[in-house]
Amino acid sequence: MDRRNFLKQVAVWSGGVLLVEPVFRITPDLLAAETVSPLLSVGVGKNYANLVASVLQPLGGMAAFVKPGDQVVIKPNIGWDRAPEQAANTHPEIVKAVAELAILAGAKKVLVFDRTCNEERRCYMNSGIKPALDSIGGRQIQCSYVDERKFVPVTIEKGRSINKWSFYKDALEADCYINIPVAKHHGLSRLTLGLKNTMGVIGGNRGKIHRNMGQNLADLNTVIRADLTIIDATRILLRNGPQGGSTRDVKVLDTIVASSDPVAADAYATTLFGLRPEEIDSTRAAAEMGLGEMRLNKIDIRMV
Amino acid sequence: MFKITLRTFRKLSQLFFLALFFLLFRLTDYSGLDEIPYAVNIFFRWDPLVAATVLLSAKVLVSLLLPSLFVIALTMVFGRVFCGWICPMGTLLDGTGKVIHAPAQSGQSLRSVKYVLLGIILVSSLFGLQLVGYLDPFSLLVRGFTLAVDPVFNLLVTGFFDPLYRYAPQWLSNISEPVYGVLQDSVLPYKQTFFQLSTLSGCVLLAIFALEKLEKRFWCRNLCPLGALLAIFSRFSIFRRFPKQACKGCRDCAPNCRMNAFDSDGRQLRHEECTLCMDCVDDCVNQPSRFRFAVPNSPMQIDMSRRSFIGAGLAGITLPLLSKVDAAHTLPRPFLLRPPGAADGNEFFSRCVRCGECMKVCIQNALQPCFLESGYEGMFTPRLIPRLGYCEFNCTLCGQVCPTGAIGRLSQSEKHSFVIGRAVFDPARCLPFADQSPCIVCEEHCPTYDKAIKFQEVTVVNRQGKSVALKQPYIIPELCIGCGICENKCPLPGDSAVRVVRAGKQSEEDGFGY
Repeated sequence: MDRRNFLKQVAVWSGGVLLVEPVFRITPDLLAAETVSPLLSVGVGKNYANLVASVLQPLGGMAAFVKPGDQVVIKPNIGWDRAPEQAANTHPEIVKAVAELAILAGAKKVLVFDRTCNEERRCYMNSGIKPALDSIGGRQIQCSYVDERKFVPVTIEKGRSINKWSFYKDALEADCYINIPVAKHHGLSRLTLGLKNTMGVIGGNRGKIHRNMGQNLADLNTVIRADLTIIDATRILLRNGPQGGSTRDVKVLDTIVASSDPVAADAYATTLFGLRPEEIDSTRAAAEMGLGEMRLNKIDIRMV
Repeated sequence: MFKITLRTFRKLSQLFFLALFFLLFRLTDYSGLDEIPYAVNIFFRWDPLVAATVLLSAKVLVSLLLPSLFVIALTMVFGRVFCGWICPMGTLLDGTGKVIHAPAQSGQSLRSVKYVLLGIILVSSLFGLQLVGYLDPFSLLVRGFTLAVDPVFNLLVTGFFDPLYRYAPQWLSNISEPVYGVLQDSVLPYKQTFFQLSTLSGCVLLAIFALEKLEKRFWCRNLCPLGALLAIFSRFSIFRRFPKQACKGCRDCAPNCRMNAFDSDGRQLRHEECTLCMDCVDDCVNQPSRFRFAVPNSPMQIDMSRRSFIGAGLAGITLPLLSKVDAAHTLPRPFLLRPPGAADGNEFFSRCVRCGECMKVCIQNALQPCFLESGYEGMFTPRLIPRLGYCEFNCTLCGQVCPTGAIGRLSQSEKHSFVIGRAVFDPARCLPFADQSPCIVCEEHCPTYDKAIKFQEVTVVNRQGKSVALKQPYIIPELCIGCGICENKCPLPGDSAVRVVRAGKQSEEDGFGY
């Protein structure tokens, strides 16, 4: 039984009955193995659909991540009832482009969701993400609201700060998990990037995560490790994050960062704000746990 | 054999309006657009009782309520067809009556009670006390369905499908889940709602239906003030029932009349009580009676004594006076927040007809009915309870569905600056103060473009004697609009460490403005 199958089985068996609580035994060595010399790709361009495709090229294209028949989860940030230009959510064109590439790579199903902060229907609609995905058509792409019944309790064995939380079943079961956060300011964590975006697939009282946010986020990411992180920095929110509102706080960069190493992706994106990777608690905590590389000089950065 | 008679048309009309009522009820929700494209509140807007009481109590002609003139005109031509052919309450009562059979017609009649109630409501509203919400059939219906029937319906259906999803074998939930999905997309509300006073509202509605056990259309005959108002207008109507000259007076029609509209000799019809259901015409075996246009000649008097008339008037004057000396109005109510766009103080009370539309449409389930916090006459008026649900920054739906302007219609930019209240921190509970631990979830969620919640970076010595850097939140009162998302999202168990208190004009009237 391989890991995915194992995850799938435990998630199914624990789904709802709440009797079995899976224990995740992902060893740091296993996690670290992939991060020896992480590849990271950065692209700048106005046509976001083309930009996504070209940024993925150095990483081997979408086919390196999505295998035919895969169930793919794409996790954008749809947290807020804000329009695309307000830079609070992932840009709809990027979500659409990633979904289309996943379908082209042979994905059986593409699930797109986020546990939102504002009312979910307003977020999905006004972020432009649901309309963008609906415009693709077909039944392979499902952009649905979070179903409370699908949160299953998970024991986080490697957790240093939290060792139990509920996670979204679809995220645990995904064959390929693609994290596409938007890069923006955040009052407490300074920035919200890829690792923080994982908060959108957990249940419970998320406010409690804030008590030791950096370590907590790293802990959560030992359960959900994105196969691919694509950070949307097409426009970044510099102040009043994470939801902003005023376009005066927004800076247009037309930039996308992609890597299979979630820590490296966050580390690089931090520099777009003029900050150093170690200034972000979650990046530092995740790097310490061996979840990825945060030293920029150890990351193989490809500009496209 | 099925025969198309006048009754068939009446039933079709009843079903059509009942279906319309439920359709509009379901459409009273966020649709993906910021504006609701349908007049979902049309049943209130053509309700002449609502129009009359708002006109009298708020002393203002609300243009939204002009369609009520149409119902008055209809009644002045055709009599109470509204009660018999349109009113969904009447249709539901007819349906209930088919299930629980009322006993045969009794000689007693309480029909004058509805005129007394109408009198009290109208006179009270003239003196600024708005009581229509207690007895207007649509207020009772929409409120009862919003607060009680709809949530219970959803609970039942979910309670059936949820265990199938959680515990049943995969093949079974593979069948049940798509069915559940279809129901969710059609008849079920978007999500489970929870309301204060759900039991009371449900029981009031249940009682009205249970009265059907005493008499057919007990509510319509004896209690409905809207029916009473239409009865008064119907006295001038020119479309009336006439027995053919050769009527033998068999009186078969009288005992079956759902409104008990025939007088004691069984031939003369009290026209103002007749809802034109057409049963007596269809069932007439000998020489069919029929309806035709005619100028009314010497109609019978409204069934109300002079004593009752004066009594209703006196009660209508007394109730507002009693309400004036109710201490509920002078007691500070710091947490009683009104919806965004709510009219100030007295105007809000005199316009609000407690219809429940705003509570139905509120996408965060944040608007809840008051109980006795603002006096008995404030019962069922909407209040915002942030710990249950906050006011969504970009949402303006409650103002759009309010039929009387008690909640004003706001544009999105007006809404962004409308002050519902102001948030106040309790540092004795707030984590960065009381527990020296980081949090500022409130700051994260604060939706104003320039955040009303900001934080100060401080270094404090915690209980372990370690010095820690913390972000402690504080409020900029001028920026806070009191949407309550901070109170809602505060991760503390129980009460929030940040609470929204009344502010703006309403609290100035209280004399304790923040």
